[in-house]
Amino acid sequence: MIVFDNVTKRYPASGDAISQASFSIEAGELVYVTGHSGAGKSTLLKLMASIERPTTGTVLINNQNVNKLKESTLPYIRRKFGLVFQDHKLLYDRNCFQNVALPLAINGITGSDAAKRIRAALDKVGLLNREKCMPITLSGGEQQRLAIARAVVSKPAILIADEPTGNLDKVYAADIVALFKAFQQVGVTVIIATHDALGQASQENKVLHLNQGRLSIQTEVMI
Amino acid sequence: MKTWLTYHVQALRLVLSRFLNNKLSTFLICLSIGVTLALPATAYLILDNLNGLVSNIKSESKLSVFLQANHDDATVKKIEAQLKQNPAIRNVVFVSKEEALAQLKAVDANKSLLDSLSNNPLPDAFFIEPKALDAESIESLKNEISKIDRVETVLVDGAWIKRLNYLLQLGQKALLLLTSLLGFALIMVIGNTIRMQVLTQQAEIELSQLIGATTSFIRRPFLYLGALYGLGGGILAALITWLIIVLLNQTVTQLAASYKADFKLLVHHSLAPLVLLLIASLIGLVAAYFSVQPVTKKA
Repeated sequence: MIVFDNVTKRYPASGDAISQASFSIEAGELVYVTGHSGAGKSTLLKLMASIERPTTGTVLINNQNVNKLKESTLPYIRRKFGLVFQDHKLLYDRNCFQNVALPLAINGITGSDAAKRIRAALDKVGLLNREKCMPITLSGGEQQRLAIARAVVSKPAILIADEPTGNLDKVYAADIVALFKAFQQVGVTVIIATHDALGQASQENKVLHLNQGRLSIQTEVMI
Repeated sequence: MKTWLTYHVQALRLVLSRFLNNKLSTFLICLSIGVTLALPATAYLILDNLNGLVSNIKSESKLSVFLQANHDDATVKKIEAQLKQNPAIRNVVFVSKEEALAQLKAVDANKSLLDSLSNNPLPDAFFIEPKALDAESIESLKNEISKIDRVETVLVDGAWIKRLNYLLQLGQKALLLLTSLLGFALIMVIGNTIRMQVLTQQAEIELSQLIGATTSFIRRPFLYLGALYGLGGGILAALITWLIIVLLNQTVTQLAASYKADFKLLVHHSLAPLVLLLIASLIGLVAAYFSVQPVTKKA
């Protein structure tokens, strides 16, 4: 599904954010990306989601080489991903329903068809009764869940979340992780970046560990 | 095809709902566009009407061809036939010297003076209405007729018409310049307004780009916004121009009546208001395109 081959991403000012990373992620996997702040987690996720292109090396998404794609076709690749951003990126001038509606609008889906899917997504994250609320009135955990609803509303094959539990207390964090696992169970590939200690999770899932841009694949699935 | 339509309906709806949410500021922007457009529109209308007036006068302009004194009827017939065959001439009227004298005598003041003359001093004459009215073709026609045997002199009426024409041409050029300058100003005004809109929606635009919105998806609502600002401005400009005409006409008809003429400012081309709306929308569209361009490039 996602294949990195010897990928380096260099930013002009700050040097290599990712150097010589090679790995592959199969469909339906749950993969953690770990490492300290500034280790290159976000850059790795951006490379996966075709938001950034590698400086050298190849990134294959569904066997398509991102480097060789035209600028104008990148948006269509990006639609295969559901993204949960570190800073949520919710639109504070719109209510919950309208926030979740955006990816569908981008895909040209509107009207009652869209409404059905938006409510289904809000239901999945437990915010169905809050659809008319403005995001600013939601708690941190609820905002996170709203961002997840927006990421999954267009039924992406790959869900990428950057520090989804970063600012949440343990109970909320466990909720969110359970939510991601539920998506994995229905066949979605889930990639989660986190700086938290993984504990039990590291024994069950593939972990891509980053240290100053260098990648080590810590654990293969051990069941 | 259906998706394409959905995208456009979606963008249009978004823009219209924003308009409804900001009625006053939308109206003010449209008004500033309308006032800017009303100026050249009114100037055009007045020039167009003056042009119509002048071309009326022009069609009355004539060449007068006076024949030499000693000739017979056959020569007159011959010259008349020759003139009638000339493709540059629309109409020829022959006035014999007897007719001319009779016409003069019809005016009382001349009668005693003319009665005192022993013989008719007037020549036979042709009055010619040329087809083309510009200075050059009239000049060449004059030369051509002067060469005809037995023609004494050829006079062209109305050098003042020529001058008036030049003045009108000057007016048209000035109008063209004014219009292009104001057009630029409008592009700036609309462009700036759209840029402000783009800035307030920066977060949304960035997010949309991250989750797979195409450039045209992001640009589309702004293009509609620009075109609709233009359209709104155009409608207001048409209204303002109409108001100006109504106001001016009150005086213009009085002025014309004092010259025993029936004249007022009219819109001669029924499509003119439509053209105004079209141009205004187009200016809005162009302005929007250029002000949203840098944002979409940043993707």
